[in-house]
Amino acid sequence: MGKLSNKKLLLLGERDGVPGPSMEACLKDTAAEVVFSATECFV
Amino acid sequence: MDLQNQQRVKDAAEKYGAENCVVILGSSDAEGAEIYAETVTIGDPTFAGPLAGVSLGLPVYHIFDEAIRTECNPEEWENHISMMEMVLEPEELAAAVKNIREQHSKESL
Repeated sequence: MGKLSNKKLLLLGERDGVPGPSMEACLKDTAAEVVFSATECFV
Repeated sequence: MDLQNQQRVKDAAEKYGAENCVVILGSSDAEGAEIYAETVTIGDPTFAGPLAGVSLGLPVYHIFDEAIRTECNPEEWENHISMMEMVLEPEELAAAVKNIREQHSKESL
């Protein structure tokens, strides 16, 4: 059981950093549920 | 933080309970990461959005924090994140968010 088991993940990515979908792809195998994933941009 | 995303964070914390939520940031600079981390712990520092004056105290981590990184699929990390890890300052980003978390989050992993 990982540390993220049963957690609800709120992913706040950034276009010039790590975007939401990239984090989602890396975390999809954990026992946590991604509640939402967003990518903000500051331009 | 975008006002719509502030509302989504607020809704999720109310629906699932703050103790069950974990916020993970992908910010590119330490200052921005700190503002995000403050927003989901002590409230919107700009007092513009739905989280103004709302102290959710959510556990917040940068994706580069070892606690999160070790949970990630290594192959997906290589494909999606390793390039940005070389370009950005991963230790500095993780430390900036950790600093806010240790001061203001009610829970941690």
